[in-house]
Amino acid sequence: MNGHSAALSHSPWQRAVGLLIRDRVGMSALLVVVVFAFIGLGAALGWWATQWSALSGGYYEPMSRTHWFGTNVNGQDIFARAVYSTRVAFEVGLSVALTSTALGAVLGGLAGYFRDTWLDALILWCKGVLDCMPFYLFVAAVAYALKGSDYGMHAAMIATFWTTTGRLVRSEVIRLRELEFVRAARGVGVGSWQILWRHILPNTAPLLLVQGTIVLVTAIKTEVILSFLGLGISDGVSWGRMLSAAAQEVTAGHFNNFIWASVFLFALVMAFNLLADALHDAFDPRALR
Amino acid sequence: MTLKVHVLRTLLSGAALLIGVTFLSFVLMVYFGPPLEYTLLGKNPTAEQIESVRDALHLNDPFFARYLHFLHELVTLDFGRSIVTGQPVGSLLARTVPISLGAVLPGFVLGNLVGLGLAMVAAHHRGGWVDRAIMAASVSGMSVSLIIVVIVAQVGLCSPLGLNLFPSRGWRVHGFGDYLLYATVPTLTLAVVALGYNTRFYRTVLVEAAAADYVRTARAYGATPRRIMLGHVLPNALIPITTRVLFTVPLIVVSGSLVIESFFGIPGIGQLTFDAIQSNDQPVLKAVVSLTAVLFVIVLTVSELLYNAVDPRLSHP
Repeated sequence: MNGHSAALSHSPWQRAVGLLIRDRVGMSALLVVVVFAFIGLGAALGWWATQWSALSGGYYEPMSRTHWFGTNVNGQDIFARAVYSTRVAFEVGLSVALTSTALGAVLGGLAGYFRDTWLDALILWCKGVLDCMPFYLFVAAVAYALKGSDYGMHAAMIATFWTTTGRLVRSEVIRLRELEFVRAARGVGVGSWQILWRHILPNTAPLLLVQGTIVLVTAIKTEVILSFLGLGISDGVSWGRMLSAAAQEVTAGHFNNFIWASVFLFALVMAFNLLADALHDAFDPRALR
Repeated sequence: MTLKVHVLRTLLSGAALLIGVTFLSFVLMVYFGPPLEYTLLGKNPTAEQIESVRDALHLNDPFFARYLHFLHELVTLDFGRSIVTGQPVGSLLARTVPISLGAVLPGFVLGNLVGLGLAMVAAHHRGGWVDRAIMAASVSGMSVSLIIVVIVAQVGLCSPLGLNLFPSRGWRVHGFGDYLLYATVPTLTLAVVALGYNTRFYRTVLVEAAAADYVRTARAYGATPRRIMLGHVLPNALIPITTRVLFTVPLIVVSGSLVIESFFGIPGIGQLTFDAIQSNDQPVLKAVVSLTAVLFVIVLTVSELLYNAVDPRLSHP
């Protein structure tokens, strides 16, 4: 801990939280994320934006007091759609981020702990194969194979996004495995599984937190592109679907779909990107930047 | 370990990856794909008709025989004919790939060169306001969706609502002038989208390479910043840079072209794939997916072999 005696009395988590609270950019990003999470939660619980699919006005109405962001080609309220899409973005982002991070932690942990065994070789091979599949085509192929399922997009993202997390966890576990507290545990006869789950993997939590945030951003951005390609959300609404509708109508001068989906999407992704940076800085003892 | 052992290991893992990607493509595209016999036959086919089509498509063969048949298609590059247009898949690819390279590669190169340049400036002023401004701009760039950039580019450059300098769709290229006309907007779009990620990556690599002992030594001996950057930092950052470029080429050329080409109406591999996705054109889709993956494995293995060859720790043990 760079010889700071004060720092020794704090756990890495306390130290990281302390650093994060003093990081103004990071805290603003966190605030934006919390606001968006609240908007999404409210939409999920039916507090607002319940009328996102109702035909509540004329087509392409401008912004007004009844339709804050105007209406789209069908006369649906763009404000309600943008707000409801926040819920969809969080659903996609969180489900993909949590699952793929858990998968990456388990597989990366196993590969690292049983390094240079057949298990490591097998996991590395799976990772290599998935990394070699061109991503959007892989999604297309999975969606193709899971025709009719609404979760082809989720499945494909989870299957490919764990590999980076897995690689990072693997090298971290290889490093941790040789540290004294693990040797001590092994010395007093703690079994391999216990060591991996109780002593090693908890120490990869900061890495998982940062990596999970990055995956969340990637998942939200990927949904937009997949929905544009017709491989994403098949019914319902999302910023991706709003943008792909916007692509057809902007040249005719209808900008409301485009502007508001872009603003929501950009603000949330930017906030998550900055938050990931802040978390990374707070946990990185080397503070390389 | 000697060079020979390393080469053998590399080749072996390349072969294992080849088996993996072909098997995965096969399972997803051929084995689990939607039934083709109904797409090929008209309405109300007889049981005999269905049976004969199933036989022709090898649908009744056992699993591994079908996998081997798929491998045979892959090796001979004979994927049959497109269900939609009836043209041989091979000739479709031969026609579309050059168009995609022309439409997508300039943007890829530009995005990398500008990113590297900005990263060199940022790394040179590390910690200063120039550095912070460049990094803030690249985080913003990373947060903008490709779709947003594409729409802005089209409205701003190709429509009467904006500057209206370029055609909004299409690819009628008969000479260099036409090429500039049609390729400029896709090039700018791709370069802008990749710029944020590229700048950030290059800066990290450069800062890491600049922290090495030999750089400190060179600085202590009074080498100029320019000489340190060009003579010491860049050459040592080349391996991570080459790896990244190799890894992103298939991503940009195939995946990037999916959006760009379908949006700007460029008849390249991306448009072909997009149409195949929309219309369930299985022969086209399986050719694109498996060939890209196989090509990627080959490039990866060859680059690994080249690293082995140039790494002095291996050639002079």
